[in-house]
Amino acid sequence: MLFSGIPFLFYFLPTVILLYFLVPFKLKNTVLLLSSLVFYGWGEPLYLFLMAVSILLGFFIGMAIDKTKSKTGKKIWLTLSVVSSVVILGFFKYADFFIDNFNAVTGLSLPLLKIALPIGISFYTFQILSYTIDVYRGNVPYQKNIINFATYVALFPQLIAGPIVRYVDVCRELEKREHSFEKFYLGTRRFIMGLSKKVLIANQMGAVCDIFRETSEKSTLFFWVYALAFAIHVYFDFSGYSDMAIGLGKIFGFNFIENFNYPYISKSISEFWRRWHMSLGSWFRDYVYIPLGGNRVKVTRWLFNTLVVWMLTGLWHGAAWNFVFWGLLYALLLILEKFFIKKIITKSDVLAHIYTMLFVTIGFVIFNAPDMLTAGKDLLGMIGVGGYEFVNDTTLYHLSSNAVIFILGIVGATPLPKLLHSKLENSKMSGVLAVVEPIVAVLLFMLCTAYLVDGSYNPFLYFRF
Amino acid sequence: MKKRYIISSIVFIVMLFSLSVMAILKPADESSLSERRPLAQFPELSIDTILSGDFTSKFEDYATDQFPARDSWRTLKAIAKFYIFNQKDNNDIYIHDGYASKLDSEIKVESVENAVKKIKYLYDTYVKEKSDKVYFSVIPDKSYTLAPLGNYPYLDAKAIVEKLKEDLDFAKYIDILPLLDYTDYYKTDTHWSQEKVKDVADKILDEMGAEKIKNYKEVTLDKDFYGVYYGQSSLPLPPDKITYITSDSIENSVVYNYEGTNGVLETIIPEKVYNEEKLNSKDPYEMFLSGASYLIRIVNPENTSGKRLIVFRDSFSSSLAPLMTEGYSEIILVDIRYVYSHVIGALISEEEFKDADVLFLYSAMILNDSYSFK
Repeated sequence: MLFSGIPFLFYFLPTVILLYFLVPFKLKNTVLLLSSLVFYGWGEPLYLFLMAVSILLGFFIGMAIDKTKSKTGKKIWLTLSVVSSVVILGFFKYADFFIDNFNAVTGLSLPLLKIALPIGISFYTFQILSYTIDVYRGNVPYQKNIINFATYVALFPQLIAGPIVRYVDVCRELEKREHSFEKFYLGTRRFIMGLSKKVLIANQMGAVCDIFRETSEKSTLFFWVYALAFAIHVYFDFSGYSDMAIGLGKIFGFNFIENFNYPYISKSISEFWRRWHMSLGSWFRDYVYIPLGGNRVKVTRWLFNTLVVWMLTGLWHGAAWNFVFWGLLYALLLILEKFFIKKIITKSDVLAHIYTMLFVTIGFVIFNAPDMLTAGKDLLGMIGVGGYEFVNDTTLYHLSSNAVIFILGIVGATPLPKLLHSKLENSKMSGVLAVVEPIVAVLLFMLCTAYLVDGSYNPFLYFRF
Repeated sequence: MKKRYIISSIVFIVMLFSLSVMAILKPADESSLSERRPLAQFPELSIDTILSGDFTSKFEDYATDQFPARDSWRTLKAIAKFYIFNQKDNNDIYIHDGYASKLDSEIKVESVENAVKKIKYLYDTYVKEKSDKVYFSVIPDKSYTLAPLGNYPYLDAKAIVEKLKEDLDFAKYIDILPLLDYTDYYKTDTHWSQEKVKDVADKILDEMGAEKIKNYKEVTLDKDFYGVYYGQSSLPLPPDKITYITSDSIENSVVYNYEGTNGVLETIIPEKVYNEEKLNSKDPYEMFLSGASYLIRIVNPENTSGKRLIVFRDSFSSSLAPLMTEGYSEIILVDIRYVYSHVIGALISEEEFKDADVLFLYSAMILNDSYSFK
């Protein structure tokens, strides 16, 4: 089920809120767990069994790690957890990718498995791994209650599009958390903000990307309009989903970690990745990069570590070569940044920002291409190769028709709106803001409802993750 | 501070729950008048439909289609798109100078070629060696003259004409492009307004050497006409009025509409050229010749010359053909979107094709989307 849909907003959510706040605290996790199972099973009921297997494996391995006294024994259990996770993920997400490439290399034609990717599998597998690794490291005690553990893994707000919430961050809240009108209101506000980002901006920009992909009336400018539209689309979609997840979490008393911190104001690629999908970046840092030795190693080993982490980051986003190249592009940029580019970009903030956004945009063009050939054509199109005219009427139409959304997207990706909001909150106008803010939230919610009722363009990006 | 959160939370809860309760309790509507389509109904609930995911995907459609006050929400969205976000179209419909039209820009070469192939087949199979009075014309859509005024992309009907001229060398081209501008079309519908296209009918009749309509009058109907773009735009546009042209010969002509019949002429109930009962149907434009049909015969008893016109056509001809009745004893209209081209021989005899005027008259929009040609 998608957050940005009538069934979720007007059937599922009110029912869950009602049940959740009616039952006593000791049953609240059960309500969350059962509703999360309905939420997940809504689209793919059969994959509930897969998630149940993953949950049971994580739960019992966590317990076994704790109960086993010897270090070797603990290590064996952890290895089992990692291997089983990798096998499940590998089978359901990467099997066809490997078979396809194996066929291409060997000239064989092994049949593809054509397995539909279970939604959210990459998110919940990484959450379970964070739990077993942290129990192994002694960072958290193991969870004794299967309901609490299953609630953590399946919690519907962050189940299908993140953030990747680590067990260590919510283990206390699973046992005891507070609810208040303040949390409810702030959660609702955050949810509506995320929904509006998704429906009013991301979906509109996504439609521009689709029109670009389908039209034969392309122009060099249209390639750039597309690249900009996709950059806005992917940020507003993904951060909008995270906002909705964090907001829903707050309504139910949880404090999830932030996932985005204005990535498009970054002045280097390394800064960008400290601001973009932060829960994934820190997961790879803490569970892959640092165990490999991080940067406190010889240069050659560091290069290896960086390449491995970024190749995996790319692959995490989807089982296709363009994601691998996308990851490796960042590895290359981070390496170059460390040795050369940093010295140049520190001289000018403007230059640093242009450099960063240029490569982020190029990165997303590769990311969004259906295959490497199209990615190459798109990049060549941006530099005028491919026999396109510089500009045509179709480009101008879509640029002008979406000008306001482009501007909202660009300004909305900066901290400016938040700054303005805090200024108002701390000024004499705070009383007015207290009245206006919920009214605006309600109006935005109604507007999003109107867009959803019209059944307009509403894609789900994360089915490949 | 605390009070603020309590009040705001309650406001939100009341809004969410009241909409939710209304959505659950509202009885399902069968169809949407404005969108002219059936609405999704509550899906079958069983273990099988749940496990296959069929129930959930159909429930999404049901919940969206049956949402309370659906049309008002759609209007709110259209207003937001046009007036808040300053976007130039909603669901591909734009409005300029009070006229609603559809964005359609790219010439789909394959589709035009498909149409050419079908037209050639019809000519080779039924017309060749029977008649050499073969003509074709292309009807531009409203956007052809409307879109340039607001820099909207549009379908270049002229380019389609050029393509057809190259390929249909057996037919004489009748140029009606200069005769039409956007004010000749309904404001809320795809089609042209009959009283505005008499010059088009006259030009075609002139080229074919047939008699033009004389002594006619215009009748404007009271009933409001909400065209297909009215619902698609979701904006509260003012309705159109249908005006039709009539004369003694039109009044006396008889229409045999084969749609929904067994195809035997003798069993078909004859209708008048203008069927006012259809004004209450989903598409009031169906009042012209009683609506879309694979085969329609208009018989004019006042013309005893035996002259026959056979038109391969789309819906634009429904309102144009009545203006041609005076010049012919019979007009036969064939729409190959509703009948296979290879069975037309069973519907129209070789004798009927002999020395008949044959006109291929299609709108640029249909030629550009010709995969419904059978």
